[in-house]
Amino acid sequence: MFRYKRSFILAACSIGAGFCVFAVGAFSDPLPPDTTYRPLPTMPFSDARRIDEAQKPDVMKRQLDLLQRRYDLSDKPMPGAMMSGGMKPVQADIRVRLPAGVTWGELTAMKPAEIKQKNLLPEGFLPLPHVKQATGGQVFPNRQIDEIHAQEMRDLRRFDVDFDLPDNLTPEFPPPIFLTTHPELGDVSRGQLLTIKNFYEIMNGIVTPVQMEGLRLLLTPFPQEEFNQTEDRKVADQSTGVACLDCHSNFHTNAAFHLTPDIRPQADRFRLDSTSLRGLFNQQIHGSKRSLRSVEDFSEFEQRTAYFNGDHVSATRKGANLPDRTNQVAMMAQMQNIIDFPPAPKLDVFGRLDPELATPQELSGERIFMGKGRCADCHVPQTQFMDNDMHDLKLERFYKIGQVFNDFVALPDGPIKTFTLRGIKDSPPYLHDGRLMTLADTVEFFNLVLGVKLNEQEKKDLVAYLVTL
Amino acid sequence: MFRRVLFTVAVVLAGSSALGQIGNPAGMGVDTRMARPGVPAPHQTNNQDRLFAQLATAGGLAEVELGNLAGGKAKADAVKQFADMMVSDHSDANRKLKELADAAKIPLSDQLDPEHALLRERLRTLEADAFDAAYIKAQIVDHQKTAQLLAWEISMGEDGDLQRLASSLLPVVLDHLRRAQEIHGLLTGASVRLPPETLAEMEHRQ
Repeated sequence: MFRYKRSFILAACSIGAGFCVFAVGAFSDPLPPDTTYRPLPTMPFSDARRIDEAQKPDVMKRQLDLLQRRYDLSDKPMPGAMMSGGMKPVQADIRVRLPAGVTWGELTAMKPAEIKQKNLLPEGFLPLPHVKQATGGQVFPNRQIDEIHAQEMRDLRRFDVDFDLPDNLTPEFPPPIFLTTHPELGDVSRGQLLTIKNFYEIMNGIVTPVQMEGLRLLLTPFPQEEFNQTEDRKVADQSTGVACLDCHSNFHTNAAFHLTPDIRPQADRFRLDSTSLRGLFNQQIHGSKRSLRSVEDFSEFEQRTAYFNGDHVSATRKGANLPDRTNQVAMMAQMQNIIDFPPAPKLDVFGRLDPELATPQELSGERIFMGKGRCADCHVPQTQFMDNDMHDLKLERFYKIGQVFNDFVALPDGPIKTFTLRGIKDSPPYLHDGRLMTLADTVEFFNLVLGVKLNEQEKKDLVAYLVTL
Repeated sequence: MFRRVLFTVAVVLAGSSALGQIGNPAGMGVDTRMARPGVPAPHQTNNQDRLFAQLATAGGLAEVELGNLAGGKAKADAVKQFADMMVSDHSDANRKLKELADAAKIPLSDQLDPEHALLRERLRTLEADAFDAAYIKAQIVDHQKTAQLLAWEISMGEDGDLQRLASSLLPVVLDHLRRAQEIHGLLTGASVRLPPETLAEMEHRQ
């Protein structure tokens, strides 16, 4: 009886405590609404534009200062290594600048906590800020802007910001297009950028009617957060919007960037470097954070995410395009699913180097990739150098989180999708936010983060191997 | 001493890189006074700045008030030390916030807000392990909310001084959050994201 009574009292207490917790919750105010939702603009368009234009020189200088502090941005081609279209050299050397008084060797000998405590993580290894964090949005490189203007008379130039990286550190433009359905044709782009004007002329006779319709939709501009009709736009004239392939030029990437749609508040949203769509047919998860399970899902939901920052409320006001799942999304997906990787003649059918074609250095690089470097733990050759999984590198072991760079808060990245390494020489800058400029930078980054302690020769061999992919 | 150094380092770090806060003018008030085109005048605030100052002040007052309570009442040394740190770090932050709010003529409350007043009453009824766990759990929620609030001010505010203060406080608040999570783990066995640093840091300080 006594025992029963005591347990009854305990139960009553815990109910009481539960009630208290509930009462506190019910009493508390939520955070301000515009922490999650985009506020309606309060400034007339002409005034906002005038202020944006006045701010622009400071915005660009601040970003350039940050880039130059973090990286060597100069043009240093890797001898004999060209991107797949043969138009642009692959860039050589480590570009991330070391903190004063420390070498890469010394850094990799330290424990993460020591690097964090002494503030020695190279700043270029931290998440890369958008050029204007408070506004964010899509920013296109000048070559894309000029070509779309020449062909379509459509304006992709923002009045508040410009693209921030030098041309030598971006992919070749326009990128070649390889089709899974016609490997024998090689690059079918004819050296042109696919647009809503020329796609039929270039692709007729090569693709099916369904693929052609998918392509048309992928090239059709639809309203987007910064490119639309409202006073909230960042383009001078009322805009018809942007197309999927404005970022994924010729189904590859032109290094256009954006902010992740998946995070709030605005200051915490990390930069997103446009990913290549090559080899999408083998990819099981889509989006660096969202892990959508099909290209159909992704093509459909990008109208909410890449276009409107994961904000369906704002999208409704500016003009959301909601493609029909069976009649339109499926066709867009089928077109994307025939885009192949560029040729890699030294790889066999298992994704391994053919010893008769590869150099001793490349073969050494492959051994490091598969072994000591632990690259193949995630980038599995058999499955197109990815594992269809997301991984958390826990970079915050090495730096103090919450520091603010150009109004952007550096926070843990959390789990991010493994990207394929097939054709990787064609798609600088690297990592989901483009914080690494060259393949040599990525080798240094992972050498530190994974703690694999590669020596100088091993790192060089690994870069030589990556170029063969 | 160690945490002072940490705090100073954080302020210097964040301050140096946050010199040019540049907001989205679409959300600026139409009556924004400009120092020069595109740059709001000193102490020019918008609604977000004013709300931020009030919410951050309420949070800061609560940290000091609850920290004082926990400093005297906590059972575990780690909780006591954490509470003392809350009192000293947040007193300092509250003072800075008040200076800037006064300069921008933002009215601030000096009373504990209803949510935290209720929490204080509840904590007063608890003792020993139950008190420690309830205090630390509430600290985790408060620091989560404060981190989001600071990040919100950094992108949505207009008063450069308030935004720079928010930038300098954010690493400190996130560090408090990590410590609170680690102490919560020690008290209850709850999981933490990375191996705990708090105990090693405490030994380092002694």
